[in-house]
Amino acid sequence: MVNGSKILPMSGIKVLDLTWHLAGPYGTRLLADYGADVIKIERPSVGDPSREMEPFFKDERGPEKSLLYQYLNTNKRSITLNLKSQEGKRIFLELSSKVDVVVENFSPDVMERLGLDYGVLSSGNPGLVMTSISNFGSTGPYKNWQASELTTYAMGGAMINTGHPEKPPLYIGGHIPSFHVGTVSAAATAISILGAEQSGQGDHIDLGAFQIWMGAIDRRQSYLMSHQYTGDISTRPWPASALGTGIWQCIDGYFMTAVGVGLFPRMANMIGEADLLNDSNWSTAAARSDPERLDESIALIVPWMLERTKAEARDAAQQHGVYGGPINSFEDLLNDPHFQHREFFQQVEHPKMGPITYPAAPFKLHLDNSKGNEKAASPILGEHTEEVLKDFLGTSASEIKNLRKGGVI
Amino acid sequence: MVSNNSKSLPLDGLRILDLTVVWAGPYATQIFGDWGAEIIRVESIKHFPATTRGMVMRPTKEMVSQKGSLSAYPDRDPGERPWNRTASFNAHARNKKSMTVDMTKPEGQKVFDELLKISDVVIENNVPVSMDRINVNWERVSNVNPKIVMLRMPGFGLDGPYEDYRTFGSHMAGVVGHYSVMGYQGELADMTGNTLTADAAGGAGAALALAAGIRYRNHNDKGIFIEIATAENFANYLGDHILNYTVNNRLASPMGNRDISNAPQGVYQCTGEDRWIAISINSDKQWKSLCNLIGSPELAKDSEYSNAAQRRSLHDTIDQLIEAWSKGMDAHKAMRALQAEGIPAGVVMNEQDAFSDPHLEENGFWETLEGDETGKYQYASTLWKTVLTDRSHKRAAPRLGEDNEYVYKELLGFDEDKYAEFEAAGHIGMDYDI
Repeated sequence: MVNGSKILPMSGIKVLDLTWHLAGPYGTRLLADYGADVIKIERPSVGDPSREMEPFFKDERGPEKSLLYQYLNTNKRSITLNLKSQEGKRIFLELSSKVDVVVENFSPDVMERLGLDYGVLSSGNPGLVMTSISNFGSTGPYKNWQASELTTYAMGGAMINTGHPEKPPLYIGGHIPSFHVGTVSAAATAISILGAEQSGQGDHIDLGAFQIWMGAIDRRQSYLMSHQYTGDISTRPWPASALGTGIWQCIDGYFMTAVGVGLFPRMANMIGEADLLNDSNWSTAAARSDPERLDESIALIVPWMLERTKAEARDAAQQHGVYGGPINSFEDLLNDPHFQHREFFQQVEHPKMGPITYPAAPFKLHLDNSKGNEKAASPILGEHTEEVLKDFLGTSASEIKNLRKGGVI
Repeated sequence: MVSNNSKSLPLDGLRILDLTVVWAGPYATQIFGDWGAEIIRVESIKHFPATTRGMVMRPTKEMVSQKGSLSAYPDRDPGERPWNRTASFNAHARNKKSMTVDMTKPEGQKVFDELLKISDVVIENNVPVSMDRINVNWERVSNVNPKIVMLRMPGFGLDGPYEDYRTFGSHMAGVVGHYSVMGYQGELADMTGNTLTADAAGGAGAALALAAGIRYRNHNDKGIFIEIATAENFANYLGDHILNYTVNNRLASPMGNRDISNAPQGVYQCTGEDRWIAISINSDKQWKSLCNLIGSPELAKDSEYSNAAQRRSLHDTIDQLIEAWSKGMDAHKAMRALQAEGIPAGVVMNEQDAFSDPHLEENGFWETLEGDETGKYQYASTLWKTVLTDRSHKRAAPRLGEDNEYVYKELLGFDEDKYAEFEAAGHIGMDYDI
């Protein structure tokens, strides 16, 4: 399919997007970034609750001022529809028969209560891929439990391993738990689309944030296997508990390295201590495993770092092949020559706020006509209601007027 | 397993050449292997990939005796072939195959060409300079197979000053600003520890990119080259904070376990060693329930605590009250009591919690697989379920070179003589020869 002059990987895929808040909308945004036509269904007059979430454009509240909403909904179309009305339900069912994908992140049972579960939706559209995202998935004793991003990461994620051993386990920060669930939901949806296009038979995907984090390679997966191998229960590691590994103070901030006994020669070279490697205490990985080496190495690394800026440490690490990097603020990131060189930050014009600078989408397509990461601003609430109803269902102008009057759209 | 799950897996029939290392790349092929793609890890007995199949090739028993290791060995014994026994590798490599070839030699390059011709995808996540050495790039692979999908995922991308910069996920996170969002309130950054979330993010993003690339190929009858810089992918997880800076010029600072809207929110100590409960209050009703539960019913009526903004300003006091209660509670009992009142609460789960969790149990989340040089262990299931497919795993992680016969003889048609020749020349083997 051709979308304007571009042929993108997800071009031709039509997505009916019932998601709200964060995880679902981030997932459908990724599908939209790479060419899917995502029709976001919002509640009449109020819209997605994320329209009222921080941060706001210049601290002005309002449905078109949330930067979180702006970030999560680029390249989508917005229609309003009251799913609790009979007429709204009828319109949704008609729309769902003409799309490839339906995505929702309500609590389990809500779609069934609305009479819009997979059985109903797929009966007239067997190729449909339906993606359901929830905190704990649709089955099991926790399915109706409450969760926040903090509690999701606490239960599923590697929180027991995050932070300092003498302090409470530490949250992963920001909205990371939701964004990750969103990414996995987009991958799951795209994978099932491949299957559906091959066989003609769609599927219903059931994602739980708890399970996604429990299976994440962010340390959890490795510790779960290690525990079975040794019986150890993991906790938070001490800073600098592995050779050459830690967060070190520099002149202008902090620099982080991860080296270990195997690659320590690289670090010895970096800090001007190559002679050490001739010493039998340091010459082999086994010798370097002695805990005394750890203390001795810290005594060598600390003064070296204290005399350097983050940029100097970074250049030296790169030169010597030492794994590491500076701890940056977002200001550092925006001013970073590497990200500027790659044109990672892009301006998108919003009709009510003017130009907004965004990070580019997660991956680049090397196509002649597109990198696949250009953005259109997030939609105004209900901006595309008439257009979508007309295009998909041939709804007339007078019918639209009546629907509006009846509070359906 | 489940009899009505008769639909074939969505990625059945796809063959992926997997040159990935460490975590981010392997996580993408883990997901693809779980859903039916044939994953062929292309490895070499002439090169030990440190941190992929262990930190060092042959660690001594003393070296792996450390408690709480992120990548332990069964019974703390590295065994005859330690590279087949390391936890990190074995966890992600279920459902994958392993072949060996020395691509620094011309005949090794030829083998790789032959594999490219019969594969759908090639994926790698190395520093670009390492791939240059073995001539793995889009020009070459698309010449050999114009319909191939290539995904490259170097940490910082294929151009720019950091192109050849070596980093793990924790460092990419630092570069893109993650540690200005994550950390203990008012503490120095060196208290934060590190995370490898950028790897999980990179793997999931790469799985999406692979699926997108395959769809592009299916509809356009030509291959596609996709580049995912793991750092850029992860920066997208911080997008709202980036916009708050680019639009409002406001820089984030770590909030510990607190939140901009939920109050109170925190992680509180329970009885026992390293036992904690995470609690978030996101409505005034939940606050009242919490007050009653922790034995402070008077606070539920106190007008100084009635909304989230007020509670945030009194957060330290509230934390003390909650912890006075939680310290005498078993973490699981606390979780159940809070959930019974409709309050978001969860145990900060360790491995024992995970393996005895009733919800995971009922979801069939653990699956036992037997590895030839490890034994029987439980593997996490697929990240999601589908209604129509049987998602059960097919095999445990491959030993180095375990699938050489399949790849060389069945796929490439080598006869015994040629196979022996490649064995002698250092391509085929199950032991590192370095």
